[in-house]
Amino acid sequence: MSKANFKTLHLRGLCKRFGECTVLENAGFELHSGEVHALLGENGAGKSTLMNLLTGVYVPDQGEIVLDGQPCSIRKPADAMAHGIGMVHQHYRLVERFSVAENLVLAADRAPELQRLSVAAKALQETAEQLGLALDPYARVADLSVAERQRAEICKVLALGAHILILDEPTAVLTDTESESLLAAIQRMANAGKGVILITHKLREVVAHSDRVTILRQGRAVASNLATESLTQADIAQLMMGDVAVSQRQPSNLQTNGPDLLVATGLSASRNDGSTAISNIGIRLRRGEIVGVAGVGGHGQPQLCEALMGLLPIDSGSIQLDGFQISQCSVSQRRSYGLRYIPADRATNALALDLPVSDNLALTKVASGSKGRFWISRKGLFQDAQNTITEHRIAGASPQGLTRLLSGGNAQKLVLARELDNDCVVAITHSPTRGLDVKSCGTVHTALRELTSRGGAVLLISEDLEEIMTLSDRILVMNTGCITGELPGTASASEIGALMIGGH
Amino acid sequence: MAFQFALQRRANTSFLRSSLTFSGGLLLGLLLCVALLIQAGVPADMLFDDLVWQVFFQADGLAQTLTLSIPLILAGLSAALALRVKFWNIGIEGQLWLGAIAAMAVSIYGVGSDSYRWALMLVAAMAGGTLWIAVPLWLKERFHASELVVTLLLSNVAFQLMLHLLFGAWRDPTQSFPISPAISEPERLLKLGFGNLHTGLFASIGMVFLVMWIMERSRLGFQSRILGSNRQVAEASGIAVGTTLVVMVLLSGAMAGLAGGLLVAGTEYRLTQHLGWNMTFSGIVIAFIARFRPFWVLPVAVVLAGVYNAGATLKVFYGLTEATVLLMQGIVLLSLLWCQFIAAFSIDRRQEVSV
Amino acid sequence: MSFISFWFASIPVSALPLLLACLGLILSERSGVVNLGAEGYMAVGAMSGASVTLLTGSPWLGVGAGVLAGCCLGLLFAFSVAVLKADQILSGLAVMAIGLGLSGFIGRHWVHQPFNGMTAPDLPGLQQLPLLGGLLFKQPLLAWVSILLVIVIAWTLHRTRIGLRFTAVGEDPAAADNAGISVPGVQMLAGMLCGALCGLGGAYLSVASAHIWVDNMVAGRGWIALALVVFARWRPGRALIGALLFGAVDMLLPRLQAQGLQVPVYLMGMLPYLLTILVLVLATRSRYRDEPAALGVTYLRQDRH
Repeated sequence: MSKANFKTLHLRGLCKRFGECTVLENAGFELHSGEVHALLGENGAGKSTLMNLLTGVYVPDQGEIVLDGQPCSIRKPADAMAHGIGMVHQHYRLVERFSVAENLVLAADRAPELQRLSVAAKALQETAEQLGLALDPYARVADLSVAERQRAEICKVLALGAHILILDEPTAVLTDTESESLLAAIQRMANAGKGVILITHKLREVVAHSDRVTILRQGRAVASNLATESLTQADIAQLMMGDVAVSQRQPSNLQTNGPDLLVATGLSASRNDGSTAISNIGIRLRRGEIVGVAGVGGHGQPQLCEALMGLLPIDSGSIQLDGFQISQCSVSQRRSYGLRYIPADRATNALALDLPVSDNLALTKVASGSKGRFWISRKGLFQDAQNTITEHRIAGASPQGLTRLLSGGNAQKLVLARELDNDCVVAITHSPTRGLDVKSCGTVHTALRELTSRGGAVLLISEDLEEIMTLSDRILVMNTGCITGELPGTASASEIGALMIGGH
Repeated sequence: MAFQFALQRRANTSFLRSSLTFSGGLLLGLLLCVALLIQAGVPADMLFDDLVWQVFFQADGLAQTLTLSIPLILAGLSAALALRVKFWNIGIEGQLWLGAIAAMAVSIYGVGSDSYRWALMLVAAMAGGTLWIAVPLWLKERFHASELVVTLLLSNVAFQLMLHLLFGAWRDPTQSFPISPAISEPERLLKLGFGNLHTGLFASIGMVFLVMWIMERSRLGFQSRILGSNRQVAEASGIAVGTTLVVMVLLSGAMAGLAGGLLVAGTEYRLTQHLGWNMTFSGIVIAFIARFRPFWVLPVAVVLAGVYNAGATLKVFYGLTEATVLLMQGIVLLSLLWCQFIAAFSIDRRQEVSV
Repeated sequence: MSFISFWFASIPVSALPLLLACLGLILSERSGVVNLGAEGYMAVGAMSGASVTLLTGSPWLGVGAGVLAGCCLGLLFAFSVAVLKADQILSGLAVMAIGLGLSGFIGRHWVHQPFNGMTAPDLPGLQQLPLLGGLLFKQPLLAWVSILLVIVIAWTLHRTRIGLRFTAVGEDPAAADNAGISVPGVQMLAGMLCGALCGLGGAYLSVASAHIWVDNMVAGRGWIALALVVFARWRPGRALIGALLFGAVDMLLPRLQAQGLQVPVYLMGMLPYLLTILVLVLATRSRYRDEPAALGVTYLRQDRH
């Protein structure tokens, strides 16, 4: 904490485009010394991009970053550090093989005095003490717990002389006690004149621990620099999600007390690193209904999907599909019973982008052997693909064309056409409209509704509350790998929000 | 610096751009090779004659080129099969040697009757190659041991095994060199009456069409295409990832093994320690230039065989060693790789906003 | 007795070129780059060493030329993977072929010409020491330079900031980038050093031990060095032990044969490779990985999420 503190940081009119996709448009806010500034927004709202511009990962297409009246050019992470801007990412930038002190030495390019291990260790120790945190500078990062790594990263960044600290969802991975001590440390930093940008999903933390708040939605700042004092959690939730018009609701037109299609009980599973991803999850899905699973990201949603599909082995629990016990079945067996999957990340989990459209359309049918046990007719695939493209109006697609060339909406149409086929009984969908425009969202929603009207059922896991509220017949709320409550489809945003925050 | 550069991965590359960069890279590489040969003292007006006319349009030369192409085709197929499922087979030579050893064993121990022993030899060769690639495959899937290093190490093991046999039990006592006795007349593949060309050519070409059929027409080939392109998608769509991987990789070993078998049964008629050198590298170069398409392996392998053949001429007349052929392959591969940069990345060049 | 001391004295001839190449590859892999070009660097190193010694009569100039040649070829590879982001394995194979090819192509003028290379300094008395006299004192100066290099590289990797940077780039390029380290810069440097060390290893073969250049002189040593990196678990000190072990086995077999002993020399020759596979498998099961976490990964800052 050697350098003199800054006074104000202004981000003005920042824009960033990737190809044709605008992820940030005219966004900005200001940060004062001694302030905790919360940055809010749903996934994909542009928070990460905005912070990546501030820390030199990306270069803005337009706009400027002004520090104490001086426009500064931040081209690479090192530039950001030189201006005293440090970020604690969700994935800590620590080399696991090294000790904490070695990690500081590694990063101490501009601070020659910190290049000695003993000096670096001392600096870390002092920083930790000032913040009231415990830290062993000589511990190897690989041996540290998540909370300890986070402390190490924060102390490292501060010891390097950062006076603007960006924390990306710091409490998402912490227990309650750990969170409390971290939030107290953040307060101490602010009191010492640092500026803290706090990215979080937890509205309670925002209200209790931040001075001002900026909210992003779809790449724009819908509210900048609002004083937190005057806001309630409900106000903030309202701003984050926009107006959820109740008239948009499309309730199911079928009786929703049909027979059970998917019953999962006591489902628990772990991530690869051994940490618990989901625990004791129970889900009942009846014929003709859409059940929404609401919750902020990073609480075990992908693992829930994977456990249901058979991609992640379950530690305990059982899954029944249409009366069949499928907990021990392979992916292809589950699919043969009519289970389908629309994952959140199309590009990495649903589509082989470098292959032709026809291949991606035929994928599951070839896997099941229904396109031929040994031999596949290319012509047949092309013909089928052509039919599907026409039927589902997938624009810009030709059977032989590369899937990579499709727009997001049309790529998702392709996934829908493949997964929601006639044999589909239950579709597990995870954020099926992420990154899509309004029209494509409508197509997705219609397709899901259509499945229920012909007797299927949909599990809709989404971080987009608006989507959940528009479509669901019942709503489950997920928090830290557990289902924390069930609400009727008519529940209001604040009711759902209360359950989402609840427990923490 | 007044400008700043940022490398961006292209989200999509047009067909035109990718084919232009590929042919540009190929052309650049070939031009460099020509320049190299001229610099080395090959008269420019003789280049066409030596490199093209003699080896492709003269009966003797063509026969030799085609004979040389037999193992190259199979090595190319082997590389293409393994790379299709992202398995780095750097041990094609090892599998080839084991194939040759297996074929020779069948001959030495007189398995089966004379009349069909040649077929047994080829089957044994394929089995040998398969066995030799099964080990790294198992270690990779079971222990996540890098197949790159294991295939490489097993090549060395196979070579030591071959030396052990050639200096020991299988050594032909009548020869001063460590080579095995020649295989008997009925075990040899039939000559086609065109130079030394033998029926092994049909086996190679047959394999091209078989692999082509598997890759382009079969369910397995379809599945391997998905697996090679995106393993997560393959798993999520219920593709039998394990089976697909195993079959493709074992086939890769079988192709390399068959190359060894054909060298023993068709060309050399005995086991020697000079069989199949550089086959790993040549196989990968062939597969890469053929864009991993089995059909294109055929012409590319024949062209490369022509270059190897011309290499012999260069050696006799201009004192250039076999290394020249290797050098030319390296230049072409590197130039193709470099030119791919233009297809894969774009460089954002922007004026600095502030000074 | 004399059998053992002769055997010992011959070990460095086989071990040191391997060791030097292995050190280079350790540097490269520590910075996250798989470098399959070693065979090629060694070949140009050996050829340049021989040709310059023949031209100038100075073995030290020859060694310098070998290092320079390896370094240039290493730069070609490093540029390909670090700047142009080309596939590491294919680029390595291409450079390997270019190196082998160039050595044969340019070296055709100097092939099979013996020259006065580097010899062991005269240390009477010491050289006659039983058992270890030959191993320690009948070696050219370059042998001592090699051992010195092991110490320097081990110290640099484990005790200095530069070493920390190399390791950081190979472990977690994003973290390194974040810490202000130029990932392509470090990888370029590592590529050049790798080429230079392999070139030195090649020059050792021609200038310090064989005193002649012949085609295919390197004979797969580059590949063995690559395996030795795994055997040494990416540590220079262990590379020395591994190389001596390889060299000992390598030189024992012909000696045993010369003694007329009936041992399956080639079967024994498989042992080092099988042992390396075993080490590789065991290493994947140990708690701490030895392999650099980002080995073989092409890093581009804009790729990360």
